[in-house]
Amino acid sequence: MSDSTAPTQPIEVRFRGGGFAPKARRWVGLAVFIFLIGITEVGTRQGWISSLTLPKPSDVLATFGELWESGLLFKHLLPSLSRLAVGAAIGASVGIAVGIMIGLFSYVRAGMVPLVAAIFPIPKIALLPLFVIWFGIDEASKYALIAFGTFTPTVVATYGAVDNVDRSLIRMGQSFGLSWLSIVRKIVLPGAMPGILSGLRISLAIAIILLVAAEMLGAEYGIGAYILEAGSLYDLERLFAGVVILSLLGVILSTIIGFIEHRLLGWRA
Amino acid sequence: MDIRLEAISHSYGDTEVLRDISLDIPNGKIVCFVGPSGCGKSTLLRLIGGLERASKGRILQLGTPPKGCLNPLTYVFQDFALLPWRSVQGNISLVLEDHGIKGTQADTIIADVLARTKLSDFSKALPRQLSGGMKQRVAIARALAVKPAVMLMDEPLSALDSQTRELLMDDLVALWTRQSFTAAYVTHNLAEAVRLGHRIVVLSRRPGEVREIVEIDIPLADRSHGNAKLEQTQKHLWDMMRDEARAADEELLDV
Amino acid sequence: MVTLNRRQTMGLIGAAAATGLAAPAIAQNKRIVVGALRFTSHSASFIAAERAYFADAGLDVELRFFQAAQPMAVAIASGDVDYAVTAISGGLISLADKGAIKVIGGALSEEPGIDGQKILASDAAFQAGLTSPAGLAGKKFGISTAGSSFHYMGSKVAQAEGIEMSFTPLQKVGAIIGALKTGQIDAWSIVPHIAKPLAGSGDVHIIGNVSDYLPNYQVTTVFTSADNANNERQQTSDFLSAFSRGATDYNSTMIDNAGGQEGVDEMVDLIHKYVYTDRERDKAAPSIINGTMRINEGARLNVASVQDQLGWFQSEGLIDADISMDTFVDTSFVETFEA
Repeated sequence: MSDSTAPTQPIEVRFRGGGFAPKARRWVGLAVFIFLIGITEVGTRQGWISSLTLPKPSDVLATFGELWESGLLFKHLLPSLSRLAVGAAIGASVGIAVGIMIGLFSYVRAGMVPLVAAIFPIPKIALLPLFVIWFGIDEASKYALIAFGTFTPTVVATYGAVDNVDRSLIRMGQSFGLSWLSIVRKIVLPGAMPGILSGLRISLAIAIILLVAAEMLGAEYGIGAYILEAGSLYDLERLFAGVVILSLLGVILSTIIGFIEHRLLGWRA
Repeated sequence: MDIRLEAISHSYGDTEVLRDISLDIPNGKIVCFVGPSGCGKSTLLRLIGGLERASKGRILQLGTPPKGCLNPLTYVFQDFALLPWRSVQGNISLVLEDHGIKGTQADTIIADVLARTKLSDFSKALPRQLSGGMKQRVAIARALAVKPAVMLMDEPLSALDSQTRELLMDDLVALWTRQSFTAAYVTHNLAEAVRLGHRIVVLSRRPGEVREIVEIDIPLADRSHGNAKLEQTQKHLWDMMRDEARAADEELLDV
Repeated sequence: MVTLNRRQTMGLIGAAAATGLAAPAIAQNKRIVVGALRFTSHSASFIAAERAYFADAGLDVELRFFQAAQPMAVAIASGDVDYAVTAISGGLISLADKGAIKVIGGALSEEPGIDGQKILASDAAFQAGLTSPAGLAGKKFGISTAGSSFHYMGSKVAQAEGIEMSFTPLQKVGAIIGALKTGQIDAWSIVPHIAKPLAGSGDVHIIGNVSDYLPNYQVTTVFTSADNANNERQQTSDFLSAFSRGATDYNSTMIDNAGGQEGVDEMVDLIHKYVYTDRERDKAAPSIINGTMRINEGARLNVASVQDQLGWFQSEGLIDADISMDTFVDTSFVETFEA
């Protein structure tokens, strides 16, 4: 560009700022599902996927249809849903209460955090026989297992959320002479709500996982019992139909929490 | 109501941050505190409002708070401290609810303070919908709602851009002119201090001591731009602070 | 023996034709894996291994032990295990339907006159009047899973008595025992070497015999992968002949008492190497002797019983109604009978 060099053609500045910015690609997820299911269908039909490896997706759908028509779907679904509802409600509400106490009181924190850390990694399924002795073989032990499994992640998420509440807001409350209860109710709880709800997403997924374990003992009906039975019969169509129901349950619960978030946390967006 | 500081000293562990500070905040006046970073001005404000306890010395309230005062010592924070999940109206009613003020009585107070801060049209808006300047006006309205005896303002304009800051300073002047209030106003911005302060307290670097107290007797409403006397005062303040500021800066690097 | 020789010859011809020159080399010391549970009902495999009957047949056998029948069946389907013995269940039939496994012979049988599987009642139910299987109406019967052999037995008993029971799935034998002892279920059926010590403790009571309802019940069968049954016919019949020698030794010693007490003692010593290894020999011996049931001579298969079980699983809707005996059983290796 200086006088001493020969004049050169101007070069357009090369764009180098692309990528690293996730965008919403709405249909890709669905396309992946359809592609995988399509491949499986073709493979099982043509025989290069053996019937021992995977069931035909169309057969799974047919099994689902039979479940629906025979009314067995609700016979299995209703007990499972009530177990999920009762167990998760107990686990989550006790978990939120304990989590808030840990967040607010140093003594509770000192006493409970190590305890929660100790029981978090215990596979709750291992305690199933114990629960049967404590709570009997019927519904109570199933509620207990699901409640216990959802309790610990809820506690951890809740006290983490309380810890993350903006301290300057609490200081503001104090500076205006708000009572302790008002600060907890009007500042700490709403401030912790996003963390509590995202913790709840994980807790409820764990509750669904534990549903199968809870229905290992003494459950004649239930999605978990249905899956276990299908497994012991090597009936892959029913196994996958059951698994699909659990997946759908997960999606529905996640959607419900999304809806609650939308209602309660509209101030964020 | 006046506030009197008697020989206030304060330390965090072995670090002494304030040393032997005595002064008065007279009723109806704005007292500005300036000083280099880390001189303890914000700490001093927290001591005055009772959010921290001074290591030595006493802070006294002289006289009685005005009638209907709900919270004699009321803060306005640099980061606004608005609850993001409450509307403008809700943020103000928050500080009234605990005093049992609800319904029409609360509505009257809220309407009054929103009118004084020119926010009447935004009572239903959420904080995320407001600009920085508006958020701080909400915070000021909230402080006014409890009819404070003394407003404790901790760098209230520092989080705002310079144009918004100018506008808000005009608002504060108008607010004070209509109905004078008492304030302790912490800032690191000397232009703000000479614009708003009836009295400017200059603190030294850490440990903060009173270097000088400058009185400005020009009425707030008359302090327009280009006022020679104000420029002179600001230059005087800067001359006093420059060396302190540099020393404080190097001291921080040293630590 | 004549039939076996004929089959061996035919198999040899088939194998030689299929694999050419390599066949003789493979026939010698061929490595195979035999799956087993640590139950006395698997004794034929233990005896054949201990007394080198497998080695005599040119098979280098590795015994692989499992905790439950279900993973063993899957291991056969996946090709990790070549031969095993297990009870007929809905799962086994489903695997056969998917072309993974074939039943090739019979093992444990109920036989009238020989102590077989027992029907148990919990103490609470017994005290409340459940003293015979006729009283099982409306009771909770423990099963591992729907479509298990327990489910079949319980259902058959209920059918014969003309009553209705509810079945409680508990997945594992240990869980069923716990539930029975604490009275959370009312009844169960199980092999004698588990039933008798339980009844001895007083927590449960024996209220009947399975053989009264299913006199010639083919409890367990020998099975292998479909690949072994179709393409390794020589090896498969070699295995079955060695297994049968083990079964013959077991029956003659333990049931027919051919070797007298001395023979029984020697046999218990042998079995104790595999079963109840965590107990002293003297404590293990009664359990081993209690567990004695006939293992079919020559791995004969009671096709009538198998047909009945297949039909029952189908009638319960547990397996596909189109599955035929031919899909499930390959009867070309052993003698079959109907009883």
